[in-house]
Amino acid sequence: MPSSAKDLRVGLFVTCLVDLMRPCIGFATLKLLRAAGCAVVVPANQTCCGQPGYNSGDVPAAKALALKFLQEFDGCDYIVAPSGSCAGMIRVHYAALFKDDPAFTDNYRRLTEHVYELTDFLVNIVKLEDMPGDFSGTLTYHDSCSGLRELNVQAQPRALLARMPGVTLIEMREPATCCGFGGTFSIKFGDISARMADKKCQHIVETGAVGIVAGDLGCLLNIEGRLRRRGDWQTKVWHIAEVLAAGDDLCK
Amino acid sequence: MSARENILTRIGNACASSAAVDIEKLIRSRQRGPIPPMEDDLTKRFSAQALRLASDVERAATLREVPGVIAAYLRVHRLLMQGVCWPALASYDWRNAGLDVQARAACADDMLGITGAFLGIAETGTLMLLSGALTPATVSLLPETHIAVLEKQRIVASMEDAWQQLRAEHGELPRAVNFISGPSRTADIEQTVTLGAHGPYRVLIIIVDG
Amino acid sequence: MQVSSMHFKRQASANLGNEKLQHALEKLQTKFVDGRAAAIAELPNFEELRSAAVEIRDRTLHRLDAYLVRFEQAASARGAVVHWAESAADVNRLVVEIARQHGVRKAIKSKSMVTEECALNDYLTNNGVEVLETDLGEYILQLAQEPPSHIVAPVVHKSKEDIADLFEKKHGRVRTTQIAALCREAREVLRPGFLAADLGISGANFIVAETGSVLIVTNEGNGRLTTTLPRVHIAITGIEKVVPTLEDATTLLRLLPRSATGQSITNYVSILTGVKGPNESDGPEHFHIILLDNGRSRLLGSELQAMLRCIRCGACMNHCPVYQNIGGHAYGWVYPGPMGSVLTPNFVGLENALDLPNASTFCGECAVVCPVKIPLPDLMRHLRRRQFERRLRSWPERVALRSWSWLAQRPRLYAIGTRIIARVLRIFAGGKNNLRFIPGLSAWTKDRNMPAPAGRTFRDLYRSRHRQ
Repeated sequence: MPSSAKDLRVGLFVTCLVDLMRPCIGFATLKLLRAAGCAVVVPANQTCCGQPGYNSGDVPAAKALALKFLQEFDGCDYIVAPSGSCAGMIRVHYAALFKDDPAFTDNYRRLTEHVYELTDFLVNIVKLEDMPGDFSGTLTYHDSCSGLRELNVQAQPRALLARMPGVTLIEMREPATCCGFGGTFSIKFGDISARMADKKCQHIVETGAVGIVAGDLGCLLNIEGRLRRRGDWQTKVWHIAEVLAAGDDLCK
Repeated sequence: MSARENILTRIGNACASSAAVDIEKLIRSRQRGPIPPMEDDLTKRFSAQALRLASDVERAATLREVPGVIAAYLRVHRLLMQGVCWPALASYDWRNAGLDVQARAACADDMLGITGAFLGIAETGTLMLLSGALTPATVSLLPETHIAVLEKQRIVASMEDAWQQLRAEHGELPRAVNFISGPSRTADIEQTVTLGAHGPYRVLIIIVDG
Repeated sequence: MQVSSMHFKRQASANLGNEKLQHALEKLQTKFVDGRAAAIAELPNFEELRSAAVEIRDRTLHRLDAYLVRFEQAASARGAVVHWAESAADVNRLVVEIARQHGVRKAIKSKSMVTEECALNDYLTNNGVEVLETDLGEYILQLAQEPPSHIVAPVVHKSKEDIADLFEKKHGRVRTTQIAALCREAREVLRPGFLAADLGISGANFIVAETGSVLIVTNEGNGRLTTTLPRVHIAITGIEKVVPTLEDATTLLRLLPRSATGQSITNYVSILTGVKGPNESDGPEHFHIILLDNGRSRLLGSELQAMLRCIRCGACMNHCPVYQNIGGHAYGWVYPGPMGSVLTPNFVGLENALDLPNASTFCGECAVVCPVKIPLPDLMRHLRRRQFERRLRSWPERVALRSWSWLAQRPRLYAIGTRIIARVLRIFAGGKNNLRFIPGLSAWTKDRNMPAPAGRTFRDLYRSRHRQ
């Protein structure tokens, strides 16, 4: 494994949700990784990590997409995703998905062990000190579930925000309580999901922060969707990468 | 086939691969789990924990002082100076302290029950009582006030220590081992803790030094 | 208990709109969640204890048959009679037989979730045995003729005003809404019941193979009364409750009340072994222990085996954001929350509880707080897999999943498809960048907007930037 960030070949897994909904987050991630000196590769044929199938019981579909993912990112020193949910799927769940399956080679196993959620990677692997973004304002941070409980992402995003002189972080009540997204849960149990989102919105609004940041777009869509339906068009909703890399160049 | 055989067969098939474990040996090893660290002064620990769980705690220098301590406690709490005690405590001089105490099992109408304790557990401030002909379980259960006499040297650190002592002194378990940690309570209504559910409303532990 | 798990969605929706329930659930959350956190913060070796507890449970499950037989021998040696029951119906039949054998007319019960599995009370009543619940919460439910909504706090869904109304109606006394007074009233009403009963029925938190003992934890003291005063005691418990030694039980006891209510120990821990001695004034003359399978042995050796470690503390439901919003009744059977979402399908059939394993965001908090480290999300995921494989999921869902994976495996087509969706949704969203309705996604858009896509996919933008 190369020792300096400059020598690292880092695969960017954009995630299907970012690709479709908010490409900006992908470019922000790219900017952060480059700021850390990584040589970033973006496999052109990447789509989905297989999580929807995996969590809905469709094991063959999940396996097919997982193998596709592994083939496309094979050869990377690290793989980084702006999502704790997708990174957790690959790093924690692929091994369970492929239990006793020879298709999951030792090489693939090692590869999955090098999959990182963005902020975890920036803090613990490349140790990025100076954020390339320019942002000032008060923010509150929501701990997305998979990142927090599967990958232990909690201190990292807060540490990165603390390295931005213009940012003031105001903690909300119960920042680690689920926002109610849960992938297909949000559609299967729409009213329960919306109620959970509503409580999250309440906690966010109480902080008086200009914006809410989190590390997973799924949560952000759920939270923004509920905020707007509540009639709140003020509170900004950002992915943490968009803040850390904030600048005019991001989303053009 | 009986239900017993059916169940055991199903379980046996499910854990078929593991037949060779000698469970008797495992049981006899009586291996202890991790025990929370605690301070050396067990009496202090016991008292502090008992108070936290809403027991009252008093000290007496000798067993002879116990009836006087009880009488004083009852007076302060404006309680009747009358009740029952374990037959094992029949020899205490209750009358001299102004107490009317009968040595017998408790009935529903008895307001005060006085017991000893096999041991005290410092970890949680818990009393350990054993049932028996001279130590009926009702005395610590039916009356609204339960007073327990605990000799200081009978305070052990943990429940594990208590099991060891019980095996050493009695060999086997009595019909009932009751661990008691404060007055009975319920939080069933709106999760609001209320003391005095079906058992005693108050528990006084008298720790006897000598 | 009547199973209504197939109506989960309807029941959950109704509960979301029940303001009184919502208030009660908030209170439960603060008391139990904060209580547990404080109790565990005091234990420097909490994680070590958890690991030890898992080891004990797994070691016992590994040789469950041998430990049960060992328990039976030890209990019998002390004069208890051990019965085995394959099903709830077996339990009910056994209890009535034992009651008849000893000429029992009146029974009292301390809290037992296993007897809720069996709907024992109705069966006893129909067979001429009067039965009185003595746990305050269970007593209230018996008066109200309702099932419990939580395994530790069964009556969490009722306010003190509800209980005051109920007591006034049933007891004919002056109405009070003061909680302490309500508790005293229940004590006074129930005391004669304790004294008149010839049979006490209890559950067991653990049974100890070493000594043949039944271990019961209670706070109210009703468990002690139930097992001390009547001349006959029947303890009914699941076969998975056996632990090898008193030391093992002690380790689990350090976790159970802390995880359940935040207590370092419950008020009473009673270890009951055999019948009363010849000179003893109290204790039952006859002690029967019923070991119930009811689908438990089916879990052994399966992917769901870890569920048998469960010590019924309720921490998973207290910390579940879904339970916190809908309460226990929505789950439709004895065990609510994440543990119920795994257990209920096993007991009532996968097809009769379709929603339960899906009613989780997989936030993972249940597994984090479980004192015996049951990987509840993984177990629910496994049940989803069984549903999918048995084609129990609806066809639109299966088609949607299959179409998604089909498309995602074809990057070129996928690029085109997502390009179109991103454009179309962008156009429909208009100036506010938000959609209030999306065909086929009304479950989302009913109470939430959908933020609009940016209009072009990352993949397209990245390619065009790199061309420049």
